[in-house]
Amino acid sequence: MAPLGRRPVTSGPALEVRGIRKAYPKVVAVAGLDLEVRRGEVFGLLGPNGAGKTTTLEMIEGLTAPDAGTIRMLGLDWKHDGRAIRSRIGVQLQSTSLFNKITPREALALYGSYYPKRRSPEELLDLVQLRDKADAYHVTLSGGQMQRLALALALVNDPELVFLDEPTTGLDPQARRGLWEVVRHIQGEGRTVILTTHYMDEAEALCDRLAIMDHGRLLTEGTPMGLIHSLAIPSVVELTFDGAPPDPGLFAQRLGQEVAVRGDFWEIPTPDPKALLPRLLEAADSAAVPYQQIHVRRATLEDVFLQLTGRSLRD
Amino acid sequence: MLLLRQFLIEWKLYSRDRVALFWTFAFPLLLLMGFGTIFRSSAPAFTLVVTQTTRETQAGRELLEALKYTPVKLLELSPQAAGARWKHGETAAQLEPAGGGFTVKVNTYLAAQGAMTAQIVQQANLAVQIRRGGAEPSFLPVQMESPGHAHSANYAAFLLPGLLGMNLLSMGLFSVGMVNVSYREKGKFRRLAVTPLPKWIFLLGQILHRLTVTFLQSALMLAMGHYAFGIGNQGSYLLLAGVMALGTACFMAMGFALAGFAQTSEGYAAISNVFFFPMMLLSGVYFTLDSAPRWMQQAVVVLPLSPYLKTLRAVFNDGAGMEGHWAQMAIVAAWTAACFLLAVKRFKWA
Repeated sequence: MAPLGRRPVTSGPALEVRGIRKAYPKVVAVAGLDLEVRRGEVFGLLGPNGAGKTTTLEMIEGLTAPDAGTIRMLGLDWKHDGRAIRSRIGVQLQSTSLFNKITPREALALYGSYYPKRRSPEELLDLVQLRDKADAYHVTLSGGQMQRLALALALVNDPELVFLDEPTTGLDPQARRGLWEVVRHIQGEGRTVILTTHYMDEAEALCDRLAIMDHGRLLTEGTPMGLIHSLAIPSVVELTFDGAPPDPGLFAQRLGQEVAVRGDFWEIPTPDPKALLPRLLEAADSAAVPYQQIHVRRATLEDVFLQLTGRSLRD
Repeated sequence: MLLLRQFLIEWKLYSRDRVALFWTFAFPLLLLMGFGTIFRSSAPAFTLVVTQTTRETQAGRELLEALKYTPVKLLELSPQAAGARWKHGETAAQLEPAGGGFTVKVNTYLAAQGAMTAQIVQQANLAVQIRRGGAEPSFLPVQMESPGHAHSANYAAFLLPGLLGMNLLSMGLFSVGMVNVSYREKGKFRRLAVTPLPKWIFLLGQILHRLTVTFLQSALMLAMGHYAFGIGNQGSYLLLAGVMALGTACFMAMGFALAGFAQTSEGYAAISNVFFFPMMLLSGVYFTLDSAPRWMQQAVVVLPLSPYLKTLRAVFNDGAGMEGHWAQMAIVAAWTAACFLLAVKRFKWA
């Protein structure tokens, strides 16, 4: 593992975005967006499908020109320093398409050759644990292996700033956790990471700070904990049922509190679960609610998102 | 009911597949239209070139009169025009006054077409003699000759330059055009676009690869032609290389240009076939368009493959220089320039 903090400390934010906009003939994908990402942090851009995350990343990565606004990263801007920026950032696109019959080792050597500064394929293969597939054709890799190769390709130039667009979408839980480890390792090497995801647990586990966007706008930003605490309802009580949940009208009235039906359970947000529970049990008893189990959990980013957008992240 | 639904959904999904629709419905119609027009009259029609001097003798007039009742189409030209047409390899059979009688000259590259025509001329000639009565009827001498009066004399000699041209056409439209559409569609270009690799290096690398492939392919075919069929290049190798280089540039540019008009591989297949098939079938790759209607012959001349092949054959088969072929090369060059400009204008990375 590379020693920590070997990267020269340079001042200023890693990324600074001011008022970027992008409209397509039928839809405004990004409607004025400001972002600031500090050096060395893992920054998450969250939102449901179609929120404008990918368009935002594409503008930052120089793949799409914004209609308006400014983008500066590592103290450089696209207009004057395109080549320098490309040399110093690493990008994992949402789907990385390579040539079918190229091997991971060849791909890493090839893409490395495009850069003035490069890391050895061997080192990268070890980092993403692809050594045993180093000489297999790309088509024969599994989804998780392809994602890890894509991640290794994003690191091939020893980048200061790494962009990961939904790096774990479509992976099984174990493969996801494997990728998280790699992301933490990347951060440990002193790199700045900007990732998009629509997994809340992923954002909570990885991100130092995050921004939630929807309909091309930023809704809020902060640390995962800060965002959850900002809810003023740090806990949620859930009542589960065997089958479809009944109408909570009478129960809510007895409890004197709002009850939301989510799928096959009821949800009651509360700032103080300790005080709520005795009253809740009493109300459930008197309204003869046929519940199966009661869970108390702390609020998550999912709840933050729900409150901000009125819909679940994966809707 | 289920069966009906299944039947209808098959039709619905099928009708959304534009490529399948093209191959199933449009393509056979195009083929039928194309060949039907070429061989419209009693199929297939045979063209016989006759010089105008033929009419100057009584025997000549009688023979031409008799030929009117055969499927042979007569094309009367001045001796100069007939000679030029022969040199360009467009004539399958020609009737030439020789001594007091006639000779039938058959183009060795178009032996099948020419020999059939010669047969019919023989029959007409016999009919004339029988009508006249008297002496024992005699056959006309038949002379096999290649267009440039050079020595290579079989169908393979005609076919080889045709296939060299075909290779360029399919390299340009499929190996270049199709590949680039699929690279764009699958996001391979996008992955490259986030690296500092200059785009021109990527494209030039690709072009150089296709060039060397084409070179190797042509070399293999020429070697095969030489060792298996005894066909060799009759002209200057430098000239041959020059002509082939222009052709390669032309069809490669065409591939890039067409790639700019398609969003998907399926769309590209449809667009490219609109160009590929008319050129493949009508440009004289496998047979000449001797018997096609005049407008079709003229229309095809405007597409780049036909003038390219004529020049290539003149150099390769007959050792010709560039005299008389500049106009053809100019057509190819014009296509190259137009396609190149269009390719630059329309090329998209994402």
